[in-house]
Amino acid sequence: MRFAKSGDGDFIQRIIHHKFHGFVHSTFNRTINIQCLDRGDLYTIACKGIDNAPNTLIIDLEHFEEAEIRVNDIVSSGHSVLSIANKMSITMNGVKRWDCKLPKYPSEADVLIMNVSTMKQYIKLHGNNSRIERAFKSGNPFDDEMSRMLHERTQLLVSELQNKRISTAITHAASLIGLGPGLTPAGDDFLVGLFTVMGIENHQYFSHQSFCEEVVLHAKALTNDISYMALAKAAGGQVRESISDLMEALFRGSEEELLLALDRVLAIGSTSGTDIALGIVAGLEMNM
Amino acid sequence: MTVQVLVKPNTYIDSVSLMSLSTKANQIEIVEQAIIAMGTEMNKEVIRNVGLMTPEVESAKTSDLVIIVKAASEELCEGAFESINDLLTKKKDSSKGKSEVKYSTITSAVNGTPEANLAIIAVNGSYAPREARKALENNLHVMLFSDNVSIEDEIELKTLAQEKGLLMMGPDCGTAIIGNVALCFANAVRKGNIGIVGASGTGSQEVTVRIHEFGGGITQLIGTGGRDLSEEVGGIMMLAGIKALEEDDATKVIVLVSKPPAPSVEEKVLAQIKQCKKPVVVWFVGGNEEKVTQAGGYFAKMSKEAALKAVLLAGADESKLNKRALNLPLIEEVRAKLNPQQKYIRGLFSGGTLCDEAMHIAMEKFDNVYSNIQRDPEYRLKDVRVSQDHTFIDFGDDQFTQGKPHPMIDPSTRIERFIQEAKDPSVAVIVMDFVLGFGAHEDPVGAMLPAIIEAKQAAEDEGRHLEIIGYILGTELDSQNIEGQINKLLASGATHASSSQNAGLLAREFVVKGE
Repeated sequence: MRFAKSGDGDFIQRIIHHKFHGFVHSTFNRTINIQCLDRGDLYTIACKGIDNAPNTLIIDLEHFEEAEIRVNDIVSSGHSVLSIANKMSITMNGVKRWDCKLPKYPSEADVLIMNVSTMKQYIKLHGNNSRIERAFKSGNPFDDEMSRMLHERTQLLVSELQNKRISTAITHAASLIGLGPGLTPAGDDFLVGLFTVMGIENHQYFSHQSFCEEVVLHAKALTNDISYMALAKAAGGQVRESISDLMEALFRGSEEELLLALDRVLAIGSTSGTDIALGIVAGLEMNM
Repeated sequence: MTVQVLVKPNTYIDSVSLMSLSTKANQIEIVEQAIIAMGTEMNKEVIRNVGLMTPEVESAKTSDLVIIVKAASEELCEGAFESINDLLTKKKDSSKGKSEVKYSTITSAVNGTPEANLAIIAVNGSYAPREARKALENNLHVMLFSDNVSIEDEIELKTLAQEKGLLMMGPDCGTAIIGNVALCFANAVRKGNIGIVGASGTGSQEVTVRIHEFGGGITQLIGTGGRDLSEEVGGIMMLAGIKALEEDDATKVIVLVSKPPAPSVEEKVLAQIKQCKKPVVVWFVGGNEEKVTQAGGYFAKMSKEAALKAVLLAGADESKLNKRALNLPLIEEVRAKLNPQQKYIRGLFSGGTLCDEAMHIAMEKFDNVYSNIQRDPEYRLKDVRVSQDHTFIDFGDDQFTQGKPHPMIDPSTRIERFIQEAKDPSVAVIVMDFVLGFGAHEDPVGAMLPAIIEAKQAAEDEGRHLEIIGYILGTELDSQNIEGQINKLLASGATHASSSQNAGLLAREFVVKGE
């Protein structure tokens, strides 16, 4: 029996109080994704050391290599235990509930302005070769073309949002979905960052939640299930813990606190963290 | 420069590994350019912009991993794919990495691959006879997948094949296993000592997977095409197939699978069975036991029975076989849940012979059994869109496939019908097949799952129990992961039947009340 250390409050409630039925959608070394049968949503079981996230449960395991969990293995719950085929049972006893709560936009922007400037410089020095940045030149025609398209489309999106042309902004946002290398394409990651900022209460674009929802409507057909879930959740103001911590640090943290939080975000995936961070910067700069 | 593409369906690799793989692939010395990315529309746009778009990339889905290699020659591309595959799997698999070579004509294919002895032809029916003739003239056996070939052409092609000592499988032949290689729609099964000649595709598939489950194996499965046993064609290929298997040293037992032949053809087949030195099991759906037995054949009324007889004749120890008897307590349990208004079975099948078998099982106890494939015109559905009493639909029949892919590939038409049937308060049981194997849908149960869950919930809300039986035709060697498919089916609350025969029997027994 494995123990759940922490997890998304709604996910835990579903396991404890309702029947959860699903099957394994995809497996990785330190996470597995489960597709829920009744809603089709993806849920994640992640190993310790990974941060809390929407629809995610963190368990007391280093990796899944020896569990022999396979795609299509059936997942069900009962008596506060989540079972994956006959290969793993996870009890909710003692689990710490986590709910994503993004901080409010600060009434005084001085700290934020300074932190955004620091964050931009830090990404330039320590970011992971984001294709969104114009400077990226690999010599590989595919990578260079992708970089050109990502850069151009992110610029167009930000410009349209700044000019409050929401319907064309939606078109440009949709043109980013599914664009980029990696499991979660860079365009999607950028939008996750942007949606995070637009979900911040008191941000001038907070009233444009419908923009995020509209974009997500396009996303289902344009990207893979895993990336879609991250986008859909971000559109509803639900992001992983490291991102909400970064927002808190940006709004009210010292430089040291900011860089600690930013390092955790930059460590997401290969270039995903950098692309998310760039989306956050773009969203914040629109408000300044 | 040559560009080659590999699309790996539903492949998720974490970003770090994916980017590392992409970097390493581009570092392979012989590679001019390598692209490894998810098959999203936007990534396709980038690929198009750099001039590397191909039809394979165009058809990739968002969950597919697309690998494109550009190198100086086809050979170098092949080598690059092997290296990338090694990087991807981290283990050498010598069976992979050999890419296909495309030829524009049968003649150039014969010249390019002189060791080939079989051609699979799947072009438009108007051109199919010409291509099949060319293949036969080049001494190739033929599997002709195309339909809409005239009966005159079929007779001419089969006669030519007979003269040259070749097999002419088809037209409209969708299933064969030759030299342990599954062709078109077929399942991955063990090699063994049982040979099959089949005029019906899913019927032959069912017999092969049951033989596999009983521990037996297949030498060859020779398809004939559905019209072979008609009066006009005269069973040319069925007779040639029996002869070929009789002469094949590896084959110890022969199984014949078909709808009942035309009377004159039946006589010829029975006469050949009588002459045959090897035991012949005959499963002609709805066929006559007496004639088969008199000819010295082994009659099987149903598919599982045919497979069982074949493996026993091939030397299996009966005491060690799990025959998968019907779950009698389940029958009682389901009967008790149904209300008096729920009287009818609705069979929604992607496999024609599986539909036929379930229908014949129902016809043993009920008169009012209707279908789009009923041989008795009185019980043939007047309007295939409207069910009547006990109804069995073959969604692979022409009425449903004109301009649409076969339901084993595209389940959408059957899903719509399922939703319609589930709402009918007179329906007690819906029985369906899910066919796995080469050529079939990657996740047939998954495609139907949301509809099953919704339908069961809706029925429950109306205070009735809707019984759904699913039969999954496949083996553990098939790529779709049969265990996962069964698990999904069970998780939806449906009943899993272990064979086509058991699916038909369970459906019938659930609605026979008071016995």
